[in-house]
Amino acid sequence: MAISDGDSELLQAPSDDKNEILNRTASTYTPLDSYALQKGQYSHQYASLYFVRLAQLKPAVEAIASEAWANFTIGSETATRKDRVLDVRQGELCWVAGTVYMEMPLKPNVLEDIGKEHWIAAPPSRHKYDEGTNALAENGERGAHAGGQKGLVGTQIMLEDESGRLRLTGDYLNGGLLVTGAIVAVVGTENSDGDFEVLDLRVPDLPRQPQRWETEDGDAALAGKRTTKKRGKAGKVAIVSGLGISGVEGDTLALDLLMEYLLGESTDSASQDQAADISRLIIAGNSLANASPIPSRSELAAAHSTTKKGGRKTYGYDSSAYNSAPTDRLDQWLAQLLPSIPITLLPGDQDPTSTALPQQPIHAAMFPHSRAYMSPPSAPEAEGPGWFHTTTNPSEFSVDGWRFHGTGGQPVDDVYKYLPDCEERLEMMEAMLRWRLMAPTAPDTLWCRPVEGEDGFVLKECPHVYFVGNQPKFETNVVEGPVGQEVRIISVPAFKESGEVIVLDLETLVPEVVKFEVFDEG
Amino acid sequence: MAQDYTEWLAINVLNDQQLVSYRSLSRALKVHSNLAKQMLFDFHRKQNAKKPGTVHATYLITGTKRKATPITDGTQSQEHGEDTVMQSSPLLPSSSAAKPEEEDVDTILLQTVMLVKEEHLEKAQVTFESITGMHIYSLQANGLGDIQALTECNRKIAVDYASEDPLEIWKQYGTIQNPNVKRRTQRRQPPPPAPAPAKDAAPKAKLVSTTSKPAVLKKEGSKDSQDSKPASKPTSAKATPEPSKKPPMNKRQGSDIFKSFAKGKTKAQAAQESQESVVSTPKAAPEDEPMGGFSDEDEADEVEAAVVEDDSTVVNGKSKKDREAELQAMMNQEDEVMEDAAEDSPEIAEPDADEGAIDKPDSQAADEPKETVQVENGRIRGRRRVMRKKTVKDEDGYLVTKEEAAWESFSEDEPAPKKIKVPPTTSMNKPAAAAAGKKSAKPGQGNIMSFFSKK
Repeated sequence: MAISDGDSELLQAPSDDKNEILNRTASTYTPLDSYALQKGQYSHQYASLYFVRLAQLKPAVEAIASEAWANFTIGSETATRKDRVLDVRQGELCWVAGTVYMEMPLKPNVLEDIGKEHWIAAPPSRHKYDEGTNALAENGERGAHAGGQKGLVGTQIMLEDESGRLRLTGDYLNGGLLVTGAIVAVVGTENSDGDFEVLDLRVPDLPRQPQRWETEDGDAALAGKRTTKKRGKAGKVAIVSGLGISGVEGDTLALDLLMEYLLGESTDSASQDQAADISRLIIAGNSLANASPIPSRSELAAAHSTTKKGGRKTYGYDSSAYNSAPTDRLDQWLAQLLPSIPITLLPGDQDPTSTALPQQPIHAAMFPHSRAYMSPPSAPEAEGPGWFHTTTNPSEFSVDGWRFHGTGGQPVDDVYKYLPDCEERLEMMEAMLRWRLMAPTAPDTLWCRPVEGEDGFVLKECPHVYFVGNQPKFETNVVEGPVGQEVRIISVPAFKESGEVIVLDLETLVPEVVKFEVFDEG
Repeated sequence: MAQDYTEWLAINVLNDQQLVSYRSLSRALKVHSNLAKQMLFDFHRKQNAKKPGTVHATYLITGTKRKATPITDGTQSQEHGEDTVMQSSPLLPSSSAAKPEEEDVDTILLQTVMLVKEEHLEKAQVTFESITGMHIYSLQANGLGDIQALTECNRKIAVDYASEDPLEIWKQYGTIQNPNVKRRTQRRQPPPPAPAPAKDAAPKAKLVSTTSKPAVLKKEGSKDSQDSKPASKPTSAKATPEPSKKPPMNKRQGSDIFKSFAKGKTKAQAAQESQESVVSTPKAAPEDEPMGGFSDEDEADEVEAAVVEDDSTVVNGKSKKDREAELQAMMNQEDEVMEDAAEDSPEIAEPDADEGAIDKPDSQAADEPKETVQVENGRIRGRRRVMRKKTVKDEDGYLVTKEEAAWESFSEDEPAPKKIKVPPTTSMNKPAAAAAGKKSAKPGQGNIMSFFSKK
């Protein structure tokens, strides 16, 4: 138990030392509205999403595949490239690119849902889509039917493109990470069953990574101006997620501790100096706990069965059930932080905004106090983002030149459900980067909007930092790409459970963790 | 200054038994947070030196904890190797499972900020590998039952000091300042305490307002200020402006309601009523009779009945001549009801004087045994026989109503005797009927002003 000298400074009688007023490091912030939506989003078919995605990523994956398999020979045969999935011939070694589709027994299936809704009680929800009856029942998924053992048994993996589908088999697949919606290229041959035996597999891999400061200086560079601006030393950025403010729970002390730490009021002066270096706070989803008025299946069942209000079914939204305490609490908390630190707020799956990805920014009406720090909606774009920036989920922005890409956690959670025996979230995040897809399972099992022109979830440029909120624990890693890209991936734990805040140093891109806790006697 | 805090703390912690955190102290005494922490420490030490156990404290420890559970992440070297293997192939779950649990080189720095009650201080300190800082977080007189109660301190601060402008005042508390803060001026009410420095301190806010269209911002400003009027007040005080708005509203409404029942209605009221009651005109007619019936039995409803009748009469008077005719008919009908009522009531009013009641018709009958008709001066006068009802209490105490013949005098000028009859009989009952009588006395006017001219 070594108490360093620093601690005695505050455990003494009031001294006349002048306490200095610290100034916070500034940060340059440029948001990109890659996920901002226009109106009238639901007029298209969802199926076109797959075709568009394939069209966008096929060139990339074919380039990699042709490079890798140019001399892929088995025996005397060289793999040839097939344009369409249905062009493969039995016994011929070839490679083809398409979209993966996984048929899993426990995946939510809309037709089954409708059929079973009326006469069978909902079975316990599944943790993963192929778990058997002895799996943990956890709240989340709906409409699964029993059956299937552990592993990929019962699951069918298919390769699909505009022409048709091809079933994939082979031991190679058992080891791999595949989810519906990933664009891959496979080499192998068709066997007598009509299935394609996979011998090797390629993914599009990481896209081009912009240079630091490219977002800010890119326009100037194209115009031929001098791009070397003097920039001060970058500070740090704090990332937190899953605040889970519910307005009723009594364990919000950690939130207060976090606020005081960020404001530089608590702790001693050494830590206060550190806190002053934090130039921005990013809240990655789920600031409110269960704010969605959409009732879950169990709630609906309870409402229909019990004689509530004399047996009357309440249709629509019962506005008397609205409790403004959580948003008030969140707003007050933000308003106390905003005078000192700029905040970027991403919505999560429990926040009051759209459920379909990309979630739109939480509306300013939710924040009567913090609204003063947001830029007014009619302000011209040239002014830049507000001090308090509510943004979309997923979101892309540039802090101090580094490109950040982040989500509130829904895509990764959904990918998690597809993968048997895999608990490594970091691997899933890495896979998503390599597939160049922010939300590969949309629209299959992840709610999203239909698009016409292009799939907004395709990664066009590789970020420097990829963070995902509301994960079970803090993990971090650096992912390397084929042409020297380096991405720092961070899985941010939910603050409500863990009390952890990630502080990322913007010069080195190395994260540290600050954990707030209350001593537990137990 | 040195004495202030001792006094203040003595009052709040010892006397009022409140929970005081360093933030509450810094807000109350307008001092830097670090100074407040020192003050708390000093007070704590002095009080406990005088009498141990009077003041309890909670501490905030910052440091690095001992590694009980390692942080599971990959070290750089290992991941590099894995990365090159997995560069262009799907990831193999088996390799990730092989990550070792214990890491020798932990590149991720984990700092812990821990709040602990003083009785557990030693235990908490043991869990730390190295402590970078420690200070007192709060003081309270008795032991702290639930440590979550400390959220109360911050909540109180938010409420008590909500009117302070953070960009101005928080500097003295030691909050980290940010010169780039952009804030819109959207509040119209109580202007910030120091408007001049506020302008300097928030140049960006001004920039925002000037670069965007001023008209737009003003519109938004006014809109927002209206919206934020309730919002700018702290939530606890939000309740107060609203109920204060409500009582005057209610009062006003109350006075409206009572005015409608007052006699001598104003024109505005009448107009209002008439607008309302135009809709309910068809209901007014049947309402007359039941109202009339009610007013017999309950004199307390006199006023209401009078007013309702006034309403209906006013309405009827205001409307066309056919309604006037209806009114006539109604009045006549009322007269009959009134008559019977009038005759019944004096007899009911004398239940005890049975003999008197019985005597009266007898005397009447005795006085005028014959029906005579005389004609003089264009008037037909005479006596005639009329059937009258007599209510008599017989020996068992039952009221028995009998119809008997009686004599009365009449003359040709039919309305006159009836009307003259009506006022004297009804005047002892209801002034309203008198008003109705007066109204019926001038049917030809058909003018609402006739009603008011009498008053």
